Amino acid sequence: MFKLFKSKFFWLLLLVIIISLVVMNATAAQRANVTFLEKVIRDTYVPLQSGVSSFRNNWDGWTVVFSDKRHLQQQVKLLEAENSQLSMENQSLQEYKQESFRLRKMLNFDNANREKYDLLPAHLIARSPNNWYECITIDRGSRQGVKKGMPVISPNGLVGRVGSVSENSAQVSLITDREMAVGAIIQKTRETNGIVEGLGDSNQLRMINIPYYSKINEGDRIISSGLSATYPPGINIGTVTEITREPNGLLLVAMIKPAVDFNKLEEVFVITGYHPVEGFEVEEE
Amino acid sequence: MRILVLILLPWLAIFLQSTIFSFYSIKGTTPDLVLVFVTFFALFNTAKKGSGYAFFCGLLEDLYMGRFIGLNALSKGLTAYIVGKVQGNVFKENIFVGVLGVLVATALNFLFLFLISIMVFDVFHIDTGMLHHIMYQAVYNTIVAIPLYIWYYNSSNSGVLRTPWRV
Repeated sequence: MFKLFKSKFFWLLLLVIIISLVVMNATAAQRANVTFLEKVIRDTYVPLQSGVSSFRNNWDGWTVVFSDKRHLQQQVKLLEAENSQLSMENQSLQEYKQESFRLRKMLNFDNANREKYDLLPAHLIARSPNNWYECITIDRGSRQGVKKGMPVISPNGLVGRVGSVSENSAQVSLITDREMAVGAIIQKTRETNGIVEGLGDSNQLRMINIPYYSKINEGDRIISSGLSATYPPGINIGTVTEITREPNGLLLVAMIKPAVDFNKLEEVFVITGYHPVEGFEVEEE
Repeated sequence: MRILVLILLPWLAIFLQSTIFSFYSIKGTTPDLVLVFVTFFALFNTAKKGSGYAFFCGLLEDLYMGRFIGLNALSKGLTAYIVGKVQGNVFKENIFVGVLGVLVATALNFLFLFLISIMVFDVFHIDTGMLHHIMYQAVYNTIVAIPLYIWYYNSSNSGVLRTPWRV
């Protein structure tokens, strides 16, 4: 035992363990900025990661050329049908939009900046190198105006939030990460305020804090509530796949299938500026 | 040259894990190449050297991630220390030693991650998804370990990773 205490390696090991535990604890919470060393390390990867990403995109394009022609024809037909259906839906939505404008004018509530996001397009260049964190790296950083905490979306829905920024890249924590939580409501009823949290699985989310009397059903669409300062309201999160009651019986838990296919994500948009809709005042009136 | 390659190996491993392997992951799981190289290094060197090198590699991974800095460094350092302690009693010429070493190291690394997380953060949520990740990762690591061990063994004996005292 005394021999162990005389060993220099033992004391060095103990010192390293203590320092590591302290640093680990200090870096567990979200930090305002990453250190210079972290920025340098990340930026050394960016050129190669961008190269691999663009090569992969080009390669995917080439493989499509050689893939089954019949399969492609079927896909074209499906997309044409979907396109015509969406065009019809769009027409009716345009009508609703015009009606909404008219009603807003009648109520003397007209905000020129309504529902406007300043979007910065970005490419996904890398994913998390280990399996414990759900995050991606994008090719836009502080030089392009990206800041920590900015929400990230794709045409399908909410992707996540910028976790840290270096000069030419940014790390985006996905909503599927275990440490992420988003305030959410059911799009149809708009009455339930729950919290959607990540499970560390790219195909599943969980909505908690739903009262037992809530009118929530399988297939309901879940959108961001806008109650948190980070995420604007109305962004698609996913659809309800399963509802269970918590053991205490007072709250429900819903499993959500994310609207975004995180495994096929290639392009995203960083919301660099957001002009909120002041619609709540109208509802109260 | 040997030192340069040893520094470049974890850098390259993180690059491959974050790009090629993550784009073509199996059920969302990627292999831990850093752990594979760390295990090999500990097998061909002493426990002290192995743990030091593993700590450096884990730290590089932590700095890249920017979260819980020291978690991977510590877990990989301790894993390599145990692997390094048993390396004197095994026949490194046998490929199964390397492959089995990686399998055991994957389990040990997760055990240390679990214990450190419990100690520092008080919580560690183990669910079925995480257990699946570990199982898939153990299999994935073992598969990639086969060609990498052959390369590492040859390099350590007569290639770029040959230690000076072997000359």
